[in-house]
Amino acid sequence: MDQPLIKTIHLCKEYDNDGVVTKVLHNIDLEIKRGEFAAIMGPSGSGKSTLMQILGFLERPTCGQYFFDGKEGGQFTDDELAAIRNEKIGFIFQSFNLLPKTSVFDNVRLPLLYDEKHRIKNQHEAIIAAIKAVGLYHRMDNLSNQLSGGEKQRVAIARALVTEPELIFADEPTGNLDSKSGKIIMEILQDLNEKGKTIILVTHEKYTAEHARRIIKIMDGTVENDYLVKERLFAKNANDLIK
Amino acid sequence: MSRFNLNFLKTPGKIALDAMWRHKVRAALTILGITVGITAVIVVLSAGRAIEDFIVGQVTMFGTDYINVEVKVPSTEHVSSENVSSMAQGVTVTTLKEKDAEELKKIANVRDVYSGQTGQAVFSYQDQNKVTLIFGVTESFDAIDSGELDEGRFFTDAEDKSLARVVVLGSSLKEKLFGDEDAVGKQIKIKKQSYRVIGVMKERGGAGIFSFDDIAFLPLQTLQKLILGIDYVQFIYLQVENTALTDVTVDDVTVRMRELHKIDDPTKDDFAVMSAAEGLALLGTITGAIKILLFALASISLVVGGVGIMNVMYVAVAERTFEIGLRKAIGAKSRDILSQFLAEAVVITFLGGIAGIAIGTGLSYLVSVVANSFGYAWKFHFSPQYILLAVGVSVLVGIISGIYPARTAARLEPIVALKRE
Repeated sequence: MDQPLIKTIHLCKEYDNDGVVTKVLHNIDLEIKRGEFAAIMGPSGSGKSTLMQILGFLERPTCGQYFFDGKEGGQFTDDELAAIRNEKIGFIFQSFNLLPKTSVFDNVRLPLLYDEKHRIKNQHEAIIAAIKAVGLYHRMDNLSNQLSGGEKQRVAIARALVTEPELIFADEPTGNLDSKSGKIIMEILQDLNEKGKTIILVTHEKYTAEHARRIIKIMDGTVENDYLVKERLFAKNANDLIK
Repeated sequence: MSRFNLNFLKTPGKIALDAMWRHKVRAALTILGITVGITAVIVVLSAGRAIEDFIVGQVTMFGTDYINVEVKVPSTEHVSSENVSSMAQGVTVTTLKEKDAEELKKIANVRDVYSGQTGQAVFSYQDQNKVTLIFGVTESFDAIDSGELDEGRFFTDAEDKSLARVVVLGSSLKEKLFGDEDAVGKQIKIKKQSYRVIGVMKERGGAGIFSFDDIAFLPLQTLQKLILGIDYVQFIYLQVENTALTDVTVDDVTVRMRELHKIDDPTKDDFAVMSAAEGLALLGTITGAIKILLFALASISLVVGGVGIMNVMYVAVAERTFEIGLRKAIGAKSRDILSQFLAEAVVITFLGGIAGIAIGTGLSYLVSVVANSFGYAWKFHFSPQYILLAVGVSVLVGIISGIYPARTAARLEPIVALKRE
C-alpha cells in the first residue's frame, strides 16, 4: 500500500520563554498522501503556521512523532534536514522572502546553489523553465524590488519549483496580495497539484482554503475538523490574467 | 550582475561577491580599512630593510675583515652605559699605546695594523673656518682602508715619526674650505700652526651619522703631540688574513693584550676586542628591535582594519538575518552559511591586501626618492615575500575577524531567522 508522505502521531509543540511554557500544538495526528492539495486553516494564533514549520522541517516538535516519506523526522541531523528542505520541499511565504536588489533569475537560482548532489543537471534550463512556468520570462533580468507583489510571489513560486520538490508549502501565499494577483497564485498552485505536486496551503481565509481538495481546521493547537471540499473553487481565468 | 558568470569561483565566493555587490559602499569602506593596514605593513617592511642597510652600510665603510681593539674603562662591559658614561664624564684610558700595535702585528692571521686617535680642531683657510673631526692614523691606514686618494698622496711613516705638519682632507671638507680651488700644496691653519695639504680623498658617500668625507687625516704622532699633547691611542685596527679564523684571532689578541698590559683578572681589562662580525651582530639586534617596533605599529593599523571588518560582518549578519533564515529554509547547511560569511570577510581583506601592496609599494618608492634627495643613501626595497606576507596576513585577519560573526550567522535556526524579518 502507498505509504503517506506525511504522518504525525501525537505531535506537540511547546515554547519555553524564560520559564513561561506556551503549548502551541497538542496531539496532532495527521496523514497526507502524495498528490494531495490540503489547506491547513485556522484563525491567527491557532498554531497552523507552527504546524507547517514542523512539517517543513524548519522547526522540531517537542513531543510525538513525525514520519516523512516513512522515515522518522527525529532521526535526521541538521545537515540531512537541510538536504530534505532543498530536495523534497519548496516554500512559499506570505511576505515572498526574495533577496532584495537581486534579479529574478538569481532569486530563482538560489536553492540550486545548495544542490550539492547536482540532482538538477542543467541548472540554467531549470531556472528558465521555472520562471516560464509562473509567466515571468519577460521579467527575468528585473531586480526583485522592481516587481509588483503578485509578481514577487510568482518569483517565490518559481524558486520553490526549481529544485523539482515533491511537496510545496504555501504559508498565506495570497495574504499580501490583491484579489486578482491572489487568483493567479491559486491558479498556479492548482495547476501544480494537477501535475502531481503535493501542496499544503496554510491560510486563515475560508475562500482561499476552498481552492484545496481537503481542509484541515486547526483551533487552539488541535485538529478541530478534517474534511474533503465538496465544491472546490477554481481560479480558472488565471492563465488569461497572466497573459 | 544578473548572469554575471562567476562559475570559476566556488559557491561561497560567488555568494560573497554577490552580497558585496549589493552593499558596494560598505564593502569599499571596509576594503579601505584593510588597505591602510597593509599599506602600513609594506611601507614598514620596506623601510625596515632600508634602515638596516643604511646602518650596516655605515659600519661596513670600515670593512668587514677587521678586528678592533679599543680602550675601555676597567670593570665595565664594553657595550655598557657605565663605560660610555665614564668616558663622557672625562675618564680617559691612557694605557693603549702605538707599541701595542707593533706587538699585535706579530700575531698569526694579522695581515696589517694601524693605530688611531680622534680629535677635533678648527681648520682655517683664508676666511673659512671649520670645526673638523681629525683622524690621527699611522701610515698603514692608507693600505688597509678602502678609501682612495683623489689627488696628491697620503703621508709616509717618516712624516709620522718626524711630526710633519701635513694633512689629507676628506672630499667634502676640501669643498668647504677651498671650493673649486686646488687644495694640494696649500697651507691651512690648525691651532695657529701651518699645515700643508698633501692629498684629498675621493668621495665615499654614506651621508648620515658619520661620513669619511667630512674628516681630515693627520699623521698619528702629529695629532698626539702637536695638537692633543698625549702619547696614547684610542684604537688599534687589525686587518685579518682569513676571516674564517677571526674568532681565534680575537682570542689571541685578547690574550696578548693582557700580557702586554700585565692583567690577570679579565674584569680589569682596559681594552675591548671586537670583530666586524660582532659589530654587525650588535647592530643586527638594534635594527631588529627597530624593525619589531615598526612592525608593532603597523600591526596596530591592521588590527584596526580587522576590527572594522568584524564590525561590518556583524552588521551584515544582523541585517541579513532574514537572508540567512531564507537560505537555510531552502537548503543551506550551517557550514554553507559559515563559509559564505567567511568568504565575504576573506574577499574583502584579500582585495584590501592587493590594494595595500600597490599603495604601500608606491609609498615606499616615494620615501626612498625623498630620502635620497635629502642625501641619505636610502635604498628602495621590494620583494615577492612582501606580497606573500601581506596577502597572507590580510587573509588571516579576514578569517580571524570574520569567523565569529560567521559562526553567529551559521548557528541561527532557520525559522528564528525568518521570523526576525
